[in-house]
Amino acid sequence: MTRVLHVALRDFLATAATRGFLFGLLGMPLLLGLAAIVLPRIFDDAFRDGAYRIEGQYAVIDPTGAVLPEMRAALAPEAVARRRRAEFRGRLDEAPAPLRGLAEAASAQALEEALGPAPDVRLTALAADADVEAAKGWLHEEADGPRRTALIVVHEHAVAPTGPGGPLGAYDLYVAPGLDDRDVAFLHRHVRDAIVGARVAARSLDRAEIDALLRVPRPPAATVGPDGERPLQASLRFNAFLPLVFMGLLLMGIMTGGQIMLTSTIEEKSTRVVEVLLSAVSPMELMAGKLLGAVAASLLLMAVYIGLGVAALASFSMFGLLDPLLIVHLLIFFLLGFFVIGSLMLAVGAAVNDMTEAQSLQMPLMLVVMIPWFIWPAISRDPNSALAVTVSHLPPVNTFGMVMRMASSQPPPWWEVWLSIGTGLASVAAAVWVAAKVFRIGLLMHGKPPNLRTLLRWVRAA
Amino acid sequence: METAVRMTGVRKVFGRTVAVADLDLEVPRGGLYGFIGPNGAGKTTTIRMIMSILFPDAGEVRVLGRGSALDAKDRIGYLPEERGLYKRMKVRPFLRYAARLKGAGGAGLDRRIAAALERVGLGGVESKRCDELSKGMAQKVQFVAATLHAPDLLILDEPFSGLDPVSMRMLRGLVIEEHRRGATILLSTHVMPQAEEICQHVVMVHEGRKVLDAGLDEVRGRHDPRAIRFEPLDPRADTAGLAAVAGVERVRPDERGLEILLRAGTDPAAAMLRILEAAPAARIELARPRLEDVFVELVAGSAAGRADGLRAALREAPA
Repeated sequence: MTRVLHVALRDFLATAATRGFLFGLLGMPLLLGLAAIVLPRIFDDAFRDGAYRIEGQYAVIDPTGAVLPEMRAALAPEAVARRRRAEFRGRLDEAPAPLRGLAEAASAQALEEALGPAPDVRLTALAADADVEAAKGWLHEEADGPRRTALIVVHEHAVAPTGPGGPLGAYDLYVAPGLDDRDVAFLHRHVRDAIVGARVAARSLDRAEIDALLRVPRPPAATVGPDGERPLQASLRFNAFLPLVFMGLLLMGIMTGGQIMLTSTIEEKSTRVVEVLLSAVSPMELMAGKLLGAVAASLLLMAVYIGLGVAALASFSMFGLLDPLLIVHLLIFFLLGFFVIGSLMLAVGAAVNDMTEAQSLQMPLMLVVMIPWFIWPAISRDPNSALAVTVSHLPPVNTFGMVMRMASSQPPPWWEVWLSIGTGLASVAAAVWVAAKVFRIGLLMHGKPPNLRTLLRWVRAA
Repeated sequence: METAVRMTGVRKVFGRTVAVADLDLEVPRGGLYGFIGPNGAGKTTTIRMIMSILFPDAGEVRVLGRGSALDAKDRIGYLPEERGLYKRMKVRPFLRYAARLKGAGGAGLDRRIAAALERVGLGGVESKRCDELSKGMAQKVQFVAATLHAPDLLILDEPFSGLDPVSMRMLRGLVIEEHRRGATILLSTHVMPQAEEICQHVVMVHEGRKVLDAGLDEVRGRHDPRAIRFEPLDPRADTAGLAAVAGVERVRPDERGLEILLRAGTDPAAAMLRILEAAPAARIELARPRLEDVFVELVAGSAAGRADGLRAALREAPA
């Protein structure tokens, strides 16, 4: 056993004490963190070319005479500021509590900065009977002042119908070439609002009252279960995301360990170190040591990622959404999956002479491991479908399937979990048995890599 | 005598190739055995079976009194034919690892490593990466790895291959030192003069079969050709009269002078004195049979063409 531990320790240190592993271990979370901070800034208007400001000069042909004043009122600086604050408040109400707290603690000036610069738009009234075709020329006439960006033509019956029961008109919009889509969206929204305002006024209705009547705040729904109450919205998003995260963790841990063993075995074989090792340890001890060393490296990797995930959840007061037992089961299924895939990767490493040969031999294994990626949306959407149940009991992908189901909103019954663990243990025994035979013979074989028939012969012969 | 290695009726077959055929081998404790034969004779396969890296298809192997080397690995040092080191590992961690795998860790390990490296002329390389070492240096590091735990049995598979003459001489000295310490040595080589210089006993194998198993002195005695090598002081001297010297059966030229064959029962010392009286010599010596000649005689018989091929195989140093 001591020899096994010595092999395990060497393999662990040879992996974990390298720059590449440390980069993968700490660099990736660091990069993700950086991406989380930097990417929104890159894509956010406020950080692209300084602040993006909607500005320009709009020409309006308004035969109704009622829409233009509404637009002027809506685009007045104080009205714009009021509306922006109200919209921000609405969005904030849907945000997680910690973000709400942060926003409420921020100063008014900071909030204004977060909202970006207010639009600066000037309206130019054209004659109500102006020729539209001629007015289009206004858009590209050379002139001083703000850039001419839009021509708005309000329909004659936009405010009042042609007759009782007749249809209401709308507007036509013409914009300058290259106008940003945000300007276009802004225009549509404000012209529509102005027309609605004019219609309401024409009917002597109270716009504020109508707005108030239309406003029904959406309360946060909650799921109520025997174990307590959870916010529905957050848990829905979380539950949709969690199976993918858990499967990703599982895949990352298993494949990292598998690759570590594959490359280290090929290195030991190609540099002929393996015979030195075999003079001190038996092939089984060597294999066990390598499995232990790689599992330790993979567990370290997973511990860091799980730890960061838990810390992130805790910092957003969302840790309650995660069942700690899930993490325990993740580790159980990780170990099962690791020993199946890992021992087979060891066998591949022992059977080949270099990485090029390994690539073709490990291809079937990689394809099998990739199956969960293809079917995770189906399992996530219906965790108790026939596909999901089959996958969660079919080695070697049962570990992935069961973890996804357990992390879903409809976890499987416990007997299924234990059955899958039992299947996993049986597949570990089978995989280690087969791999040990190939490993023992393959380690000292050089030359032409074995084909499937040769591998089967090794398994039968050893 | 207590045996370090005992193989009885051992056979190993790879596909259709019989690598080792019914081999019986007994290496006594404290012996310095040469396991010799040309490339492909089955030496490495035999050694791997002794080490329990491979297992025989038939027969029994006992090592240091155990049924398998697996039960005595800590007492065995092994320098395989295919040498290898972890390229990116430094020398000291590699030797620590090798020692610990052999159960020789514990306090003072680093001190022992430094002393062992010093002994092989590699003082100060502890912090070098293995891929920075020359081939000779790497070989010495491997020898240190094989002997750091002071093994009772040291198995060396082609230990001198690829070494320059100075390193070869140093390694030969180290092997003899290990033997003096009390280790049993089993040294495999296809270059027979090397075995001749170092071993007390030789086991010759050819095509998986043992063809000779005897002490070096016994081999020389058994294959005494009753020959004297003679080089005249004056190369132009007439040596025709040597054939008439009492006890001389035949005289024939060889590469550097003459080979004088004595009649059976002739005392070589007296014959040499008579020869010197007949013709002054720059060199005169008893022609000791070389292992190479013995081997060729054993496996090739009188087939001259085959004998030449075998001689070439036994002299050729590996690439």
